[in-house]
Amino acid sequence: MRFVLSAEQKLFAETLRKLLADAGTAAAARAWAAGDRAPGRRLWASVAETGLFALAVAEEHGGAGPLPVEVVTAVEELGRSAAPGPYVETLAAAELLGRTGGSLAGTWLPRIAEGEAVVSLAVPYALDADAADLVLDGEGREAAVTGDVRTSLDPARRLFAVEGGGDPTDFGVLLCAAQQLGIGQALLEVSVDYARTRRQFGRAIGEYQALKHHLANVMVELEFARPLLRGAALAYGTPEFTRDVSAAKVAASEASYLAAKTALQVHGAIGYTDEYDPSLWIRKARALYSAWGSPAEHRARVMRAL
Amino acid sequence: MNIVVLVKQVPDTESPRKLKSDDSTLDRAAADGVINELDEYAIEEALKIKEAHGGEVTVLTMGPAKATDSIRKALAMGADKAVHLVDDGLAGSDALQTSYAIQQALGRTGFDIVILGSESTDARTGVLAAMLSERLGVPQITLANKVEIDGSAIKAQRVTDYGYDRVEATLPAVVSVVEKINEPRYPSFKGIMAAKKKPVETLGLGDAGIDAAQVGLANAATEVVDFADAPARAQGQIVTDEGDGGAKIAEFLASKKFV
Repeated sequence: MRFVLSAEQKLFAETLRKLLADAGTAAAARAWAAGDRAPGRRLWASVAETGLFALAVAEEHGGAGPLPVEVVTAVEELGRSAAPGPYVETLAAAELLGRTGGSLAGTWLPRIAEGEAVVSLAVPYALDADAADLVLDGEGREAAVTGDVRTSLDPARRLFAVEGGGDPTDFGVLLCAAQQLGIGQALLEVSVDYARTRRQFGRAIGEYQALKHHLANVMVELEFARPLLRGAALAYGTPEFTRDVSAAKVAASEASYLAAKTALQVHGAIGYTDEYDPSLWIRKARALYSAWGSPAEHRARVMRAL
Repeated sequence: MNIVVLVKQVPDTESPRKLKSDDSTLDRAAADGVINELDEYAIEEALKIKEAHGGEVTVLTMGPAKATDSIRKALAMGADKAVHLVDDGLAGSDALQTSYAIQQALGRTGFDIVILGSESTDARTGVLAAMLSERLGVPQITLANKVEIDGSAIKAQRVTDYGYDRVEATLPAVVSVVEKINEPRYPSFKGIMAAKKKPVETLGLGDAGIDAAQVGLANAATEVVDFADAPARAQGQIVTDEGDGGAKIAEFLASKKFV
């Protein structure tokens, strides 16, 4: 099994990272949370131009996939940038429709591949269903929103109850884990930067061991989660996929949540500030911790597979 | 139209750049290599010209083996093929020698238009376009922020301290561009995968007909005599607002030609 990314996969990830950094993603996330979807939709269109969505759609429907490793690598970058919107849901819906087939697949997969369709998926709540062109239940059937809106810990996430509900798909769980890993990585980087810059008692706070140890713990957790994520992506289509995806989700949930808690401590009071960008990741890390199945549920799934 | 775009790999501007203490050349191992930022605008302009007038875009790079990463990225953006001038004998060449080596390589590729960034972020000499056009005996249009091609005529806007000049020339020509000219595209996944299959020709000194006695550090016309780290940034100027703060800021910006 080859875990190392190819030159092409790395270049694709770098491209997305640069695009998302140049595109003012944090501002789009804030606007999205405030109900203004226009900057988020423009960002969606830019991301679509890179061909990301086609990677989750089979060739017969105008895609190039499904390519789990490439999609995971890309979603990590979306997590790293705190991009708002149902990216994971749309990509997971594409994979689900690819398996269920039928007329919905024929109609929607080409549009998803082109990046023209925003899709939400009930797991059991449908993220940003009000901004979606199509809402699916867990079985991949078109579903109606019941109107019951749940607030999330992340103001950029609005959760809608859907008739029929549904369980998370393995592919979606994998992508959520990728998003979490990206968030954790971003939080570690911003915390390390801050620890190097912020001075107290005449020296950079990062020189104090109490901080170094916490940051090192975050790095260890993220590093341990990454091979589980890559391994799970490579296991797509094998009987071990479900188990490996759950293992990756547990590790990514714990790592990104630890990264969020540590970032908050390292930053001190400013970490609580809404206007300061790390708040975007901190809240998303907590919200995703229990989305697409809690760590306890995924631990149980790993346990059952052993 | 045969469009050649010159692409240089430079150390990532995000990381500190260093010269080697033994021969005062750039320490390329100390930082990741990236495409010189202004060259990305040159690539974008080359692709736009191709889209509007047809033809083929060739990336020409002179640099060590690891410059292939930058070539791949240029191909992923949409260039058709690449020529990589790579030879240990070229190491340490200065601008004058580089212009000679590129002239020789262009003799193999041919060209209707050569496009490059107006300077590189590492050496920042900004003279290559002028030297190259002199060697090639073709017109030079430097610091272009707008280029239009009509048949064999090329019209451009050239950025100056006081605004811009409108200049015209006849192709073939050498054009250097500034960052205001366009918005470079991001490579798509399809582009990245397609780049794998695009031809990259590797040329050594002999292949390109380059005389080894005219290139390389030992034969350079210029010499780095001494170098030192940039001084730490001094404290900025503080303007106390006495009702005229805005005017003072505008004055400062004007003195630096920002406005």
